[in-house]
Amino acid sequence: MSALLELAGIGISFGGLRAVDDLSFTVGEGQIVALIGPNGAGKTTVFNMITGVYRPNGGKILWYNHDITGFAPHRIARLGIMRTFQTIRLFSDMSVFENVRAGCHLRTRQHWWQGLAGLPSQRREEAEIADRTSDILKRLDLETVADERAIALPYGVQRRVELARTLIANPKLVILDEPAAGLNDRESAKLNETIFGIRDSGITVLLVEHDMNVVMNVTDHIVVINFGRKIAEGNAATIRNNQQVIEAYLGRDDDETEEAA
Amino acid sequence: MMRRTLPTAAIGAVLWAGCLALPIFLDSAWISIAAIFAIYAIVALSQDVVLGRAGLYDMGHAVYFGIGAYATAVLNVGFGWPILATLPVAIVGAALVGAVFAAPIIRLRGDYLLVATIGLNAIFVLAMRNDLGGLTGGSDGIPGLGVPSLFGLQIESQSALFWFDWVLLGVVLLVMRNLDRCELGRALRYLKQDQLAASTLGVDARRTKILAFALGAGLAGLAGTLFAVQISTVSPSSFVFTESVTLFAIVIVGGQGSIPGVLLGTALMFVVPQIFREFAQYRYFIFGIAMIAVMVLRPQGLWPRARLAR
Ligand SMILES: Nc1ncnc2c1ncn2[C@@H]1O[C@H](COP(=O)(O)OP(=O)(O)O)[C@@H](O)[C@H]1O
Ligand SMILES: [Mg+2]
Repeated sequence: MSALLELAGIGISFGGLRAVDDLSFTVGEGQIVALIGPNGAGKTTVFNMITGVYRPNGGKILWYNHDITGFAPHRIARLGIMRTFQTIRLFSDMSVFENVRAGCHLRTRQHWWQGLAGLPSQRREEAEIADRTSDILKRLDLETVADERAIALPYGVQRRVELARTLIANPKLVILDEPAAGLNDRESAKLNETIFGIRDSGITVLLVEHDMNVVMNVTDHIVVINFGRKIAEGNAATIRNNQQVIEAYLGRDDDETEEAA
Repeated sequence: MMRRTLPTAAIGAVLWAGCLALPIFLDSAWISIAAIFAIYAIVALSQDVVLGRAGLYDMGHAVYFGIGAYATAVLNVGFGWPILATLPVAIVGAALVGAVFAAPIIRLRGDYLLVATIGLNAIFVLAMRNDLGGLTGGSDGIPGLGVPSLFGLQIESQSALFWFDWVLLGVVLLVMRNLDRCELGRALRYLKQDQLAASTLGVDARRTKILAFALGAGLAGLAGTLFAVQISTVSPSSFVFTESVTLFAIVIVGGQGSIPGVLLGTALMFVVPQIFREFAQYRYFIFGIAMIAVMVLRPQGLWPRARLAR
């Protein structure tokens, strides 16, 4: 399995706090990889560094063995890396349809002047985009809410909208930050299927998740971090029995230990 | 949905076509007011591209209006160019200045950007007053512009000028409507609402915002040519900071990103004052009160952008 994404000793500090330190791991093409750890461990920060939101002040990020460290977010997106946010970031004034269509940005070929002139080729592309949006809404069970204002919908639905917005871009890698947060049991069970579905369509998945039901059932590979450092790595069985992992969760939050054990 | 946006556009088109008949009914003073309305409507729409669509606090937009007007005046009076030949220069010149000015400051936070644009306006007016390069004629400006001629016909009468302005307003309205329905227009809305989310979807914030600035400036430059022709004298006082403030207020009061809102705002700011000419000194008092009332009672503007359109 070839490495799609490789983190090589990346780190970042906020003031005096070393939020992530010397972290290395690899995401292979076609894998589902989970990054787990207690709250504040630095998981979201890792995602922010991969997607160019933060610039690491140490280490390298490689994409197909090319150095992409410090690329701006839009350049990262152009490589085919799309993400969702732990605190959902949908466009607040827009419908579900409009939000999902936003994911098409990089797939449009029209130039600005073609758009301003409303040329036939541009109108055709608009129709294609609308069709593609409808397709993905159907696939993710969102067609009934297509014209609703996105941020007025229940949490679980909003997460699906955000996911649809990334998938419509046809990315190579999707990065999901706590996709099960705020979902009810039924929704989170369904999420497992959705994640498998994403992988089966040829997209690699990297996710942060607290829901151990999701993590243990769907992942090929798990990376555990605590205080910004990697403490364990391996498949679900290895991680479940790792003493350091159990302690990390015990020392922090009892709930999660129960789930992890 | 299509069903909802189509009638508005259709009604707008019919209204516009109806307005073309205005010169038949109006006396010459009102024809010129209606022509001035079209010109300021274009400037206000161009301000909306930058402020309402891209969310960039540009309070020096009169500069681009002025660049267009001065480009036409200098080339026509100083160098004998035909008016229509100056039009592309006015548009491209204003757009270039907009892009070059925006490039280094576009990253600034809203309030800092605002101050920078005010600074540009101050510099522009100062430069024009001081007869920049011996071309701009100082405080008195440049008098004696010619009129456009089209296929050998002189666009000279009040009505002909009116039609000239209104046809170009029609073109600009079409461009604005297309902007609503193309990727550039949508990218601006993504950036305005959540720049981080937009960037992670691949929107190049810097490039897109500079493009918006250039587009807004270019359209203002176009209006500048029309303005220069309409009043046949170009002087710095038409492009001072308070003009920029008025344009800013039109967009906010009318409704950001809303074509009918911006047109309504323009009418309120430029046409209604003509009706109440006699009450000159109370005019701005009433306007000030009205502006405060709108912002308190209807912060999204008098005619807000239609939401949830496909
Ligand atoms: N922009 C920031 N400025 C300062 N501190 C930050 C910033 N982002 C994250 N942190 C800190 O970095 C640490 C890791 O945070 P985060 O990555 O959000 O954790 P996790 O996602 O694992 O819960 C926390 O202590 C957090 O307060
Ligand atoms: Mg987090």
